[in-house]
Amino acid sequence: MKLSISIICSFICIFFTKAQEEVKAVTETFSGIKIINSHSTKTLKKREFSYVIEHRFGDIAGSNGGVQTGFGFDNATDIRFGGYFGLSDKWMVGFGRSKGAGNPFRSLVDLNTKYRILQQTEDNTIPVSLALVGTANVTYMKASEDISLVSSFPKFTNRLSYSSQIVITRKFGTRLSTALTPTYVHRNYVRFDDVNGLFALGGAVNLKITKKIGLIAEYFHAFSDAEGRANNKNSLALGMEWITSGHVFHFNFTNARGIGEVQYIPSTTSDWLSGQFRFGFSISRIFKY
Amino acid sequence: MKRLNVTLLLGLVGFASWLLLSSVSVVKLTGKALVYNVGLSDLLESLGDTSSRNPVKTVDRKLVSVGEKLIFEGKANYKSNKGKRISTYFVCTDCHNMTQEYPTLTDVDPQVRLDYAVENNIAFLPGSTLHGIYNRQQFYTKDYEKKYGELIKDAQDTLENAIQVCAKYCSSGRFLEDWEEQAILHYFKDKELRLIDLDLTDKEKNRILTISYSGSEEEKMKSISWLKEKYTQAYIATFLETKPKNERNYGKSGNADNGQKIYEKSCLHCHDNARVTYLDLDKDVLSAGLLWKHRKDYTDLSPYQIIRHGTYPITGRKQYMPLYTEEKMSKQQVEDLVAYIKKIAKK
Repeated sequence: MKLSISIICSFICIFFTKAQEEVKAVTETFSGIKIINSHSTKTLKKREFSYVIEHRFGDIAGSNGGVQTGFGFDNATDIRFGGYFGLSDKWMVGFGRSKGAGNPFRSLVDLNTKYRILQQTEDNTIPVSLALVGTANVTYMKASEDISLVSSFPKFTNRLSYSSQIVITRKFGTRLSTALTPTYVHRNYVRFDDVNGLFALGGAVNLKITKKIGLIAEYFHAFSDAEGRANNKNSLALGMEWITSGHVFHFNFTNARGIGEVQYIPSTTSDWLSGQFRFGFSISRIFKY
Repeated sequence: MKRLNVTLLLGLVGFASWLLLSSVSVVKLTGKALVYNVGLSDLLESLGDTSSRNPVKTVDRKLVSVGEKLIFEGKANYKSNKGKRISTYFVCTDCHNMTQEYPTLTDVDPQVRLDYAVENNIAFLPGSTLHGIYNRQQFYTKDYEKKYGELIKDAQDTLENAIQVCAKYCSSGRFLEDWEEQAILHYFKDKELRLIDLDLTDKEKNRILTISYSGSEEEKMKSISWLKEKYTQAYIATFLETKPKNERNYGKSGNADNGQKIYEKSCLHCHDNARVTYLDLDKDVLSAGLLWKHRKDYTDLSPYQIIRHGTYPITGRKQYMPLYTEEKMSKQQVEDLVAYIKKIAKK
């Protein structure tokens, strides 16, 4: 009996001692609020504002690339300007406007929010960081008169699409970080042989070469056997992150044409093996407000 | 039975005597503490000191709590005044401790300050502590003129002006409203040094108090000078140039263990998880590697440069790093820090 009481007391003491200790958080798992295409678990701090410019050029090779298009630099498959506000050290909201890759629509406006529930700690009491991300998109492109196209938008709600993500990251040591991102994308209006709801699983790895430079690989696998998706490809991106004082730069190569979950997960049709991958970059800058 | 009664009676008398004596000593002690708790500014004023300023005569508790909020959180409301953030980038405690920084009130040695910071788990910061600032006679001393020029002309001998310079220029913020300035002043007055804080015997304290009540003019003047020797009147600031490349020891003559104390108590105070700045530093090979790589440079990432020059606020990046004066970080401490950086960079 006495032994049991002692053990319980010890546990209580350990618990409270742990609770009182300042447990150090693991940071810089991925340096940006985005990995390449997908979100990371990083959130802005309270009263921080981040302005982001994202760009995807045209195909480097293949039938639409090569010398004639300056290896894709003559074209822009998607461009996005966006901003994010840190409402607390764990919660941020953002907005953006994208050109859109055009498949099946373009001219997108998005609203998004991210809340970090868990932050990995150095003592491993919390082994991973975990964030929830929600995005809502609306396209304002002029409706097509061809009613066989998705972009005919019979109703306003047909213009809407959403995504929900659980982003789980873990840093191993000082250089290697990984991410696992179960994602659900819902598009209100799709072709008859496509699916409205699509589940995908993303994964990413970041290998830090120096304090400022990391090499990143990111892959998203969409799970669907819908007939209309037979020619779709999964998004694969390889890139580099580069941190400077206040800026985070990403340089990447990806087969995804569009920016944002509702584009690169369900609508990627470009194939790496056919040379249909492109150079892209993003620049983000943090300001205090 | 009779014997028992006598014993009981004796016991009661003994207890009553103990209680009485204890009460007397408690009253005596409390009385002493109250008398010794007199603020130095009021004491000096009662001694007839004309060189010290004492702008707050009666402390307003409400203003004290507003001042505390302004200092620790950078924003407060007062009556119908809705406060705005003083600075988007800093609060006072990013650069200044609010507690005593040395074991005694007359110490100024940076190594003593570092050891005290480690012992008491406080930061090792570029700014002087705000503890006892109400009793100081000079601010922005000596070489601060090189950095701020005319801006500090009226701030070097007047606390209110020094507070305004800090709010507007040092913290990249704005000038304070009158009520904000008063609130901070009342907070400083409330936290001023007191007779009890000085390293004096009871006899010395009693003598000073007696002189303040009934001493001669000569005794009062002598007491003022004597009293002012017991605490620091001004923290002198000596700016040093970046050590030339060929004079740097790159950690060879440094004590890495001491350097670790500086890294933890100084660098990580702001850079841990990029709390105040954009540069996120950690105690790992990548962070140390970055600083080690630039050790020979004259740039912001070289410890030799950044410690002595800091950075400057620029458009789009108003956060900056203040410099460490020689009095706040010695030349040897810089070498100690570099020795620690070298150690964790595994070079």
